[in-house]
Amino acid sequence: MSTREKARKPALTRIRHSPAGVALLFLAPGLLFLLVLRVAPAISAVASSLFHYSLLHDTTSFVGLDNYRTLFADSDFHHAVLVTLVFNVVINPVQIAISLALAVLLNQKLAGVRFWRALVFLPIAVPPAVSAVIWDVAFQPNGLINAFLRVIGVPAQPFLTSSDQALWSIMILCSWIGVGYWMMFLISGLQDVPASLQEAAQLDGANGWQRFWRVTFPMLRRPLAFVLVADTVSNFLVFAPVQILTNGGPENATNLVMFDIYRRAFTLGNMNLAQAEVVLLMLVTLVVVAVQFRLLRSKE
Amino acid sequence: MSQSGLSRRRLLGLGAALPAAGALAACGGGGDGTTTIQFVAPEDPKNLEPVIRGFERANPGVRVKYTPVPFDRVNDVLQARLGAKDTEIDVFAVDPPRVSALAARKFLRDLSGYREQVRRDVLPGQDAPSYFRGRLWTMPIWSSTQFLYYNVDLLRKAGIEPPSSDPAARWTWERTVAAARKAQKAGAQYGLLFDQTDRYYQLQVLPASLGGGSGVSPHDELTPEITNPAWVKAMRWYHDLFADGLAPRGVSPDQMNVIFSSGHAAFFVGGPWDVGVFSAVTKLRWGLAPHPYFAGGRPVTPTDSWGWGVNPYGANADAGLRFVRYAALTKAGSLQTIATNPIIPANAAAFPTYRRELDRQGGDASAGAGALMDHELRHTAIHRPRTIGYIQFEDIMNKAFADIRNGAEPAARLRSASSALVSAWGQLR
Repeated sequence: MSTREKARKPALTRIRHSPAGVALLFLAPGLLFLLVLRVAPAISAVASSLFHYSLLHDTTSFVGLDNYRTLFADSDFHHAVLVTLVFNVVINPVQIAISLALAVLLNQKLAGVRFWRALVFLPIAVPPAVSAVIWDVAFQPNGLINAFLRVIGVPAQPFLTSSDQALWSIMILCSWIGVGYWMMFLISGLQDVPASLQEAAQLDGANGWQRFWRVTFPMLRRPLAFVLVADTVSNFLVFAPVQILTNGGPENATNLVMFDIYRRAFTLGNMNLAQAEVVLLMLVTLVVVAVQFRLLRSKE
Repeated sequence: MSQSGLSRRRLLGLGAALPAAGALAACGGGGDGTTTIQFVAPEDPKNLEPVIRGFERANPGVRVKYTPVPFDRVNDVLQARLGAKDTEIDVFAVDPPRVSALAARKFLRDLSGYREQVRRDVLPGQDAPSYFRGRLWTMPIWSSTQFLYYNVDLLRKAGIEPPSSDPAARWTWERTVAAARKAQKAGAQYGLLFDQTDRYYQLQVLPASLGGGSGVSPHDELTPEITNPAWVKAMRWYHDLFADGLAPRGVSPDQMNVIFSSGHAAFFVGGPWDVGVFSAVTKLRWGLAPHPYFAGGRPVTPTDSWGWGVNPYGANADAGLRFVRYAALTKAGSLQTIATNPIIPANAAAFPTYRRELDRQGGDASAGAGALMDHELRHTAIHRPRTIGYIQFEDIMNKAFADIRNGAEPAARLRSASSALVSAWGQLR
């Protein structure tokens, strides 16, 4: 045994006997993946965003913040940001409100409640690409939805071919997928609310709405905070439905930032500009999530 | 304790062995000494099976593993994988106008050593789009043209005399649209469909027929020219087809020939490959005629088709090059590429066989198709523009076409597409 090995052994033993060391060992695989799959790509994105590759001259040059300036001056980017903000401002409250309503409903002792929960949850088990293809067929001019609308006397709608309706159609699809998923977290939160609190409120003469608003809702703050943050992040990163259903159109009406990044990187082949947009998306998402956390914390 | 240590070592050994095995497999070498060529293209696997089997028979010890990718995603997939210097692709399909962009990005191996052989063995002019800055980057596998197909029964029902297959009696778009409207009034669900709706390949000829050019300045490969009166007029005409209900909105290009073959459309503009599709539908009575042009303009037709290129980083690029030469430069290989996929072979020796087969395949309906195809390839075919910005051009134009189809005002949409092109091409400088 070499002297080096002798010196190493006590160090390993020390780590094994220290709770922090053991915790670190258990966390090591996760931290390694975090480093390789999250931190390193983020650093690489920042670095790449500071360069420009000229295909015409086959040269790469350091351009500092020029890619960011280009984006801020680009009308397509402005439009993508606007579309993404509208999408998120509408879809997040709607999805959470529907999820909460479904959670409250399906947390009751109703006949076949497990079946209904499974039915609402089912869309999340379908791959997003498959869901998108199914909805693509449904949204077609001669598709299922228009057939139904005709039956009830409503004229056929253009859905994905209209710049006024395409984004709303994508929202319907994303909500169809998402609400069942978020509902499950909220049901689990509802089941953690102690029954004694409800009973005490009932004895004090609180009606159903008062019990929900004064007892249940405050107790749901933690799961709601998680759902709000996770839902917001996932909706900032929506990609597959746009790629499959609309390709960002019509007239850029569904050009969400995530799709815009993909298009710049892999369709237009401008990796540096796409990385600058990735960095901006990361920053915006971090700011939004930080604000959400702060708002929720201040009410505790 | 010792057992536990042993099992940990075994586990570690297994952990190390698995990636190593993966890496070996990734090198494309089989344990039995075979070489595996990785091939990526947007074709139905059954269409490529004959040429793969033929090559493997002629080259014992070499296998071709084919991976299909969706037509609309070829560019994105190649950009992502070749941009990362992926060694897992040896041969890939290249749309000819993209040769410049791909070669400039160093995604293609220089094949200039075979330029004389290619010039000798492929149809005249078919190798032109395979060149960039004087060097050969791909080998042309197929070519293409477009015909005007018509539904015999729908035209008869509307009292319309079908168009002749004689190029000298070629219909204008104006006459075609008038006949399509009449057929629609007589019961056809749709009047006129394009096989590749919203794609530049199909629509370039509309402004070109009116003298509007390709959309790219002939003086500077990174300057758009899509807002001239000819482009606006052509796109207004395209817009009106859908606004008037002659053609459907919201239907993807791959469903267009299904609508025609199920007897719901009077006219259909499509390629020679549709002869095989329509011949297989026993209830459909159809015919074909020359591709129309605008009155006062000149007859022009789309052309070119996929060539195959070699990835310079491919683990088995040399074997891949042998496969490409087999498919492009030998008669047997070329004929195998079209055995189940009736598309024009770029190989000169295979072309006469295909021409005869095209005449025969559709019976009376396709009689004369070979001569018409020959005429169009010689006299009316126009290549798409060669520019290192073609990938951006096609993406931006295809989105503009889709928007115009869905009701966007053509002149305004062409102006915004032009601005997008200036911005995207500015990034290439």
